[in-house]
Amino acid sequence: MTGFDFSNYNRNAALQAKGAPGPKATSTGTTIVGCIYDNGVVIAADTRATSGPIVADKNCEKLHYIAPKIWCAGAGTAADTEFTTALISSNIELHSLSTGRPPRVITCMTMLKQHLFRYQGHIGAYLVVAGVDPTGTGLYTVHAHGSTDKLPYVTMGSGSLAAMSVFESTWKPNLNKDEAIALASEAIKAGIFNDLGSGSNVDVCVIEKDKPTQLLRNYIRPNERGQKERDYRFAKGTTAYLNEKVFSKEDLRKYVTVEEISGDPNLMEVDP
Amino acid sequence: MVASHGLTGMLGEDGIHVDMNHLKSGEVNLGTSIMAINFKDGVILGADSRTTTGAYIANRVTDKLTQVHDTIWCCRSGSAADTQAVADIVSYHLNMYSIVNNEAPSTQVAGALFQELCYENKDMLRLVLFVNWYTGIGHLIYRCSAGIIIAGYDPRHGGQVYSIPLGGSLHKQAYSIGGSGSTYIYGYCDANWRENMTEEEGIQFVRGALREAIKWDGSSGGVIRLVVLTAKGAQRHLYLPDTDYTGPGATY
Amino acid sequence: MTSIGTGYDLSNSVFSPDGRNFQVEYAVKAVENGGTAVGIRCKDGVVLAVEKIITSKLLKPGANRRISTVDRHVGIVSAGLAPDGRHFVSRARDEASSWRSVYKGPIPISALANRLGSYVQAYTLYSSVRPFGVTSILGGWDSEAELAVDGQVGSGPQSGAGGKVKGAKSGGPGLYMIEPSGLYWGYYGAATGKGRQAAKAELEKLDLASEKLSLHDAVKEAARIIYVAHEDNKDKEFELEMSWISSLEGPTKGRHEEVPKELLEEAERAARRALEGDDEDEEEGAKGNEQMEE
Repeated sequence: MTGFDFSNYNRNAALQAKGAPGPKATSTGTTIVGCIYDNGVVIAADTRATSGPIVADKNCEKLHYIAPKIWCAGAGTAADTEFTTALISSNIELHSLSTGRPPRVITCMTMLKQHLFRYQGHIGAYLVVAGVDPTGTGLYTVHAHGSTDKLPYVTMGSGSLAAMSVFESTWKPNLNKDEAIALASEAIKAGIFNDLGSGSNVDVCVIEKDKPTQLLRNYIRPNERGQKERDYRFAKGTTAYLNEKVFSKEDLRKYVTVEEISGDPNLMEVDP
Repeated sequence: MVASHGLTGMLGEDGIHVDMNHLKSGEVNLGTSIMAINFKDGVILGADSRTTTGAYIANRVTDKLTQVHDTIWCCRSGSAADTQAVADIVSYHLNMYSIVNNEAPSTQVAGALFQELCYENKDMLRLVLFVNWYTGIGHLIYRCSAGIIIAGYDPRHGGQVYSIPLGGSLHKQAYSIGGSGSTYIYGYCDANWRENMTEEEGIQFVRGALREAIKWDGSSGGVIRLVVLTAKGAQRHLYLPDTDYTGPGATY
Repeated sequence: MTSIGTGYDLSNSVFSPDGRNFQVEYAVKAVENGGTAVGIRCKDGVVLAVEKIITSKLLKPGANRRISTVDRHVGIVSAGLAPDGRHFVSRARDEASSWRSVYKGPIPISALANRLGSYVQAYTLYSSVRPFGVTSILGGWDSEAELAVDGQVGSGPQSGAGGKVKGAKSGGPGLYMIEPSGLYWGYYGAATGKGRQAAKAELEKLDLASEKLSLHDAVKEAARIIYVAHEDNKDKEFELEMSWISSLEGPTKGRHEEVPKELLEEAERAARRALEGDDEDEEEGAKGNEQMEE
């Protein structure tokens, strides 16, 4: 038999029925956004990775490469977003090689949705897919169950509400590149500051027609650790002692034997 | 329309007790108003534009009117993932049909394909919880998460409207309404429906009905999208809430 | 045939240097020995007819049918190896039923011909199989009525569907002939088997393309043509089997059925009369010649 094994699920349901607390699913916090502008598309993400209440990584990368001009921002289960995007990236490259054409954003989105739908939501990848192809600019969201949306600006992850509030209040049509970058990073900052699951820095990726894709790693670092005013180092002599014995290097000689090795140590031995 | 949902629960003698905290975070919800009608020259499809994940509106300008062939479209309600997948599969088959048989598929063919997918896969499709908020007891109902209305036009059969409700049966109707918002407009539709309406009257009817559905149903909202299917082809309409759904009307 | 001894005729899926598949050509030979089969397509229906050579006095008359119903609206008659014909019909039934299970309606005749053509063609590609030893004539009627989806509930608006294009024709008769190579064409009149040349000559005289021949007259013509085609094989007894498919208003209501006994017998009487008439003419002519010689 292949596929998933649900026997643990049944066991947990039975245990829960008897009153035992079931295992808690790990909630993964993130803020990711995407926004189309006049000549391209920008996506952005925070850089906090959590495992339960612990910040597991203060500066992780949530922007994933699919193709030179197609990138993904991932929320949900980190391993799932990582491996799903890597798989689709690989397949997209093979597809592009086979057709001899640059890959399309809608192709990538379709491959992702069909993959995720096949796994019925068990692969917890929530993605923002963005890119530029010969047909124009593309921006989509793909949910773990396999549904997709196409919108001029999108947000996902636990910080999506905070980020969306920024878009809904300040987005306007026909943004230029700088405005789009500023808007996307502002939305991520809203997630960083107002969502417990999001934090640290803002990563941005700008994809534009006829220009190399820019990955602006840590485009904004709103959480630099400042210089501490004081520290906890103690002054020499803070701890009292009763006696003192000092060993010199020469004293140590009597505890060791020294043997000289003859010949050139650089020469390798060669069998006759 | 639901973007995604999941559930946890406790097994009890009387079914499943709902984990209220989990529901609060809101994953399960049905919310849509969709309809399609016959009129003098063809059919009109209409839908609101709200997609929800729990209490959150994941998309306020969703397009629930999906083209599966030149003049065969469908209205999707239920799980977005399931209905998108079903529509994609039907779209593929109709495309193949028109190539292999060298003629456009009839609306019947589309209806048959939709029904086959919805009926044969209904056990695979996800569960939906209907919660009695007073007792906190949830009722598990197996749902074909695809509540689909199919409407199409072809020169031989004219306009036709089919609906596929929960179990996967196929109903040919004069007009069809669906989704959570439809419960509020059975009276409106029954009172105002007339056979052989003109295009203008048909649009007024659908727009008026959806306006009421959106007004009374919390999980429907956003804009009203229409598609008019006649011998002339497909024409889209858009109506915005800013002007109480009076305009702008026909688009491209 | 020059192929004998060259080795290119020993296996299917091997071309001869001049681009022929001899196995397929030998299959055609098998067909050319079979009883004559004809199909006539007219405006209001299709007729199928076949000449069954009586190979034994012990065979029960009227049993051992050679025309089969594939679906309610389709029939097939084959010339050649009868068992191959039955296997072919079985496949046709599977195709028709598979179409029904997917599309919840009757298969169009053109689509069935297409699928069967592909099936037969596949038997010319592999060395492990031999081609079909039959040429089959496929006749049917695509319903001109508005079709429902099998299993649907309800019937839409009482006033009917709006926006129908007036005068748009749909449905109608279909007649196809599928050969051992997988080749198939649509025909007004089709003939295969031993007497095909004579039959084709008669069919051409009917001017079927003008669609003036009625279904009833087509039944009589089909019977006559089988009788004419049998003239070159007179030493053997034969039995005539006929079926027809009419429009929804016609006698079979769009179904493939046997031609009723009375009509069949009437057609056979007319066919014999026509032939006797020809014979008399010939005898008279012969006499005339004799007289002139005297």
